[in-house]
Amino acid sequence: SRQSTAAVVHQPHPLEHSWTFWFDNPSAKSKQAAWGSSIRPIYTFSTVEEFWSIYNNIHHPSKLTVGADFHCFKYKIEPKWEDPICANGGKWTTIFQKGKSDTSWLYTLLALIGEQFDNGDEICGAVVNVRARQDKIALWTKNASNEAAQLSIGKQWKELLDYNETIGFIIHEDAKKLDRGAKDRYKA
Amino acid sequence: DNYDNDGDGITAKKYSRDFLIKFSEQCTDLPEDFEISADIAEAVMSANFNSSHIVERDSY
Repeated sequence: SRQSTAAVVHQPHPLEHSWTFWFDNPSAKSKQAAWGSSIRPIYTFSTVEEFWSIYNNIHHPSKLTVGADFHCFKYKIEPKWEDPICANGGKWTTIFQKGKSDTSWLYTLLALIGEQFDNGDEICGAVVNVRARQDKIALWTKNASNEAAQLSIGKQWKELLDYNETIGFIIHEDAKKLDRGAKDRYKA
Repeated sequence: DNYDNDGDGITAKKYSRDFLIKFSEQCTDLPEDFEISADIAEAVMSANFNSSHIVERDSY
């Protein structure tokens, strides 16, 4: 396979899952009241090549406007608490200085599509939230009560990003009831 | 080589970060079937993308 350079160009590399990019800018909603929910699917990809074709043409987090959310979720899982697969789940969150999340966002995406997590079946997707003072990346998972799986994912994610702060896992159900008062259920 | 085989003959498509990054420079054009509605194109797309992919209708 040393002569593979040419072949690599022409044969797409299939991913284990198809993934959908979603864009949301809730702060723009007032201007476009008729939208209802402002979250929209952008494109569903299923090969390594398609991933790059999209990624290379879209804004990375540092170029998105404040208020924007950009998601990458497994095909057919909607990035919403109400989604039946997300409903019993939760999320790990990492926090970055304003404009400093691009590399971690890319590494998160590559870990997802490359199936680098031991408990990859537990993962729904990832989202980057661009806010006035900071960027946040969250990794959404399915079964919040499966502590061992969540801790494994949290620890592996930190290693992949070389992220040294403690991260917390919040259960969607708690966030729904308590909003910002929701406490971390797990830490890694 | 880039596939992991779990012994059951089922291939899990695992790709390392270094392997995936090799493909970045080869894939600069949007997929032919890519469409984005005009009202969010500017917010989502980087400056130099091919504007023939913009559609006027709402995506709903």
